[in-house]
Amino acid sequence: MEAPTPAKPISINRLLPYWAVFQADVRQTLQSWVYRTWVLISILAAVGFLLYRLGVYKEAKIVQQASSLMGELLRWSVLGSVTLIIMLTASSISSDRGTLADSVLCRGISRYQYFFAKWHARLVTVLGTFLLMGLALLIGSFFLLEQDLSIPGSIVALLTVAIMLGTVITCGVTFSAITNSTVMGITVLWLFIYGLGFTLSLLPTDFPSPSQTLNRLPYMLQGKYDLRYLGQMAMWSAVISFAMALVGLGYFAQRDV
Amino acid sequence: MAENASGLVIETFKLTKIYQNRQIALNDLTLSIEPGCVLGLLGPNGAGKTTFLRLVLGLHRPTAGWVKVFGKTMTPNAADLRRRVGYIPTNPQFPHGMTPITYLDYMARLFGLPADVRKPRLASLIRAVDLLGVSGEPIRGFSNGMTSRLAVAASLINEPDLLIWDEPTHGLDVEARRSMLELIKTLSREKTLIVSSHNLSDIDEVCNHAAVLSRGQLIYNGTLQDLKGRMRRNHYELELEGEQKAIGKATQAIKSSADFKSVTVRQRRLELRLADEANNASALATVFMTLADNKVTLVSVRSVGQQTEQAFLDLVEKEESRGFARAYQQTEEAA
Repeated sequence: MEAPTPAKPISINRLLPYWAVFQADVRQTLQSWVYRTWVLISILAAVGFLLYRLGVYKEAKIVQQASSLMGELLRWSVLGSVTLIIMLTASSISSDRGTLADSVLCRGISRYQYFFAKWHARLVTVLGTFLLMGLALLIGSFFLLEQDLSIPGSIVALLTVAIMLGTVITCGVTFSAITNSTVMGITVLWLFIYGLGFTLSLLPTDFPSPSQTLNRLPYMLQGKYDLRYLGQMAMWSAVISFAMALVGLGYFAQRDV
Repeated sequence: MAENASGLVIETFKLTKIYQNRQIALNDLTLSIEPGCVLGLLGPNGAGKTTFLRLVLGLHRPTAGWVKVFGKTMTPNAADLRRRVGYIPTNPQFPHGMTPITYLDYMARLFGLPADVRKPRLASLIRAVDLLGVSGEPIRGFSNGMTSRLAVAASLINEPDLLIWDEPTHGLDVEARRSMLELIKTLSREKTLIVSSHNLSDIDEVCNHAAVLSRGQLIYNGTLQDLKGRMRRNHYELELEGEQKAIGKATQAIKSSADFKSVTVRQRRLELRLADEANNASALATVFMTLADNKVTLVSVRSVGQQTEQAFLDLVEKEESRGFARAYQQTEEAA
């Protein structure tokens, strides 16, 4: 081995470390088996569900409205996906711990940049995939099912679900930054989500809880949505997401890795 | 090199690390490292070497005390300070699916190096560490020597002023180890280096300063020359030639001297351990005279134990035997 020739330091792009971790994390997520399982199961379940319902209603000669079918499908795909999304996000930082994280965090990157890059990468990957799959289903339903869907309503319904998933993802990344292992992160996140869901279900019915919002999906798809209610739901999701992200960021910026 | 008021590359003050109130990994460590110093970090397993390095890099936060790098306090968010440091952890790990080119590009981007700087630099480094032929191959299939060379390249990608290499020769074959030591010698001409190693002969070869840690405490900090000076030269091995009877007689005569703690003969090798208070020159003179009187020929004389290793072991042994007294002599030790 010969020693390399030294040179003078050059101008530094301070956003580049964030972007490098972001890109690496997106690539890593897309290659992970959890992500691939989630996509595969979601597609298979959606196709299976649609074929089954179509078959049943055709036999019984009942006209099934697209809004009710798609609303049910979205609701079940969210509830079914949560486990895998939790696994996908609760491992984002904790799985990198040890010598692998050393080789990144000992370079010219701050803990803040690292956390933001991981958080944003998981948000983009999971929500991007969900929106793409949702969009494909809606486009398919326009051709296959009895039309009662409204385009703005469909977009609002998809965005509403995405906002709720965004909160789950943020909580996942936060617990991943706080806990020492992925298993611990998943356990704590499950407890947190169930606890939060239970607490919200005790609140008055006009409060925008996740279960109430999911029940309203068929109406949203028809274009019958209450903007005030949705605004409140989005606001509360954002408040919970930002509060959780702040906790995760503050803790991770000070902890030993 | 380091534009700071003290001019020191690393300065620590009463640096202490206690893990979860259960384990004291580092205890009250005060240390200064000047520019151009090649510091060998020595200590048995669990002495606190890696903890110290991780505190210097801001991967861990001190429980008490502080560490300054280039005159500024190191924290987990001090990315600017880490841009001037190159680090190789023990057994470096690499992300799956990357090749030397993509890995070094990733590392360079983590330092914020723009494309027109990082691309030529990573190409020169890949050539310098002799990985040109496998630069597009997945790292997964690399040997220990190849991954070590890649880790070296990653630690040099930002052209750092300070290099921290944690056991860089660990797991390398003889040729790769020799090559690594030569590289350290070359780099030491222009950079400050901290090399942690279990292999004391490596430290002896490449370092000019040594810091010895034992159970989280700094028990020696100074030049390697001084460390060797502390060695008790009290163990010798003499190879003899002559009649067995004459050798036996000479041995009996030597055994009667109070200068020796133990005298043993195996085949034609005479092993001598001097008493602590004995003067080695006069004791050996007595031995040579006795051998000459008994017509025994002396073939060779050897001081047993590699010098640095012996000095290091002596220090650790002495530290462990001090017991409660150590609590009252910290200031003296640090000085």
